[in-house]
Amino acid sequence: MIGYLNLILRLVIWFLLTANLSVPNIIIGVTIALLLPHSHKVRGSLTDWLRALWGTIVAIPQAYMEAVEIIFRPHNFEEVTMEQVQPNRPPGLVFLDIFLITFTPKSIVLKYHEENGGYEVHWVRRRKKV
Amino acid sequence: MSMSMSIILNWVILGMFVTLLIPIYTVWKDDDVWQKMLALGSISTKTSILILVVSVLRDDWMIGVVGVIILSVGNAGLMLLAHILKRLSDL
Amino acid sequence: MSELFSYVCLGVGIVFSFWGTSHLLQRRSVFFKLHSLSVADTLGSMAILFGLLLNRPSEWPLLLLAIICLAIWNTMLGYVLAYCSSGNGKND
Repeated sequence: MIGYLNLILRLVIWFLLTANLSVPNIIIGVTIALLLPHSHKVRGSLTDWLRALWGTIVAIPQAYMEAVEIIFRPHNFEEVTMEQVQPNRPPGLVFLDIFLITFTPKSIVLKYHEENGGYEVHWVRRRKKV
Repeated sequence: MSMSMSIILNWVILGMFVTLLIPIYTVWKDDDVWQKMLALGSISTKTSILILVVSVLRDDWMIGVVGVIILSVGNAGLMLLAHILKRLSDL
Repeated sequence: MSELFSYVCLGVGIVFSFWGTSHLLQRRSVFFKLHSLSVADTLGSMAILFGLLLNRPSEWPLLLLAIICLAIWNTMLGYVLAYCSSGNGKND
């Protein structure tokens, strides 16, 4: 099932790059997507992946809302927190997590701790945390 | 393209150009290397967006393809440079 | 209608970009500037590109690819800069 998601991702990139929906191009795209190396290990559950993909779609309006917020109300204080996730997540999901956190303007990932599964996140805040 | 659109795009280019002057000034003035890296990354994004706006204004898609290629290759060089600087400071 | 919306996107992009970049002139830490630069360079440029996309619908595949690549690369550059500059603790 995750293999299908991977295949669809490759095909989407191929069609955006070539912008051509003729039959030979579809055949070439499907062949390349199947021939590119992929691992057969099952990495992460399907629900995890679907949740992360849904998060990517939601992240765009959320990022714009946060941007408007920090424009109109200055956030002048900085803070570093630790966000916990379960350890040993597959690398693809870790990449998506870091991408989502860093994409929203109020938060940036500083470091990922592999052994205990946590992200060091840097925030801007309105008030000083006591 | 409509007349109003090309006037608006001219103003957009002017605004982006003024914005582009800020990181250039920062690179020249600031001494800390990480601040310089920030400003350089900002310059590279802004110029490639400027290329795309110019291509739409001049209705020349050849220029636009160059902008898209620059954006999709990304600033890998800056990332490499950041890692090298980190290694050097760890020594 | 779509033309009006395209003007709105271009305007929002310019405002975001100018607001975020103007923080480069202040004396703040690298991380604080990274937050405002992510407003300026990622979100502002995405808004400008979306305005161009509405203006030029015939070239949508390449412009969409440009938007996606811009979002991914800029976010990664922000993370890499934050990670690399946090090693030595003198960024205040």
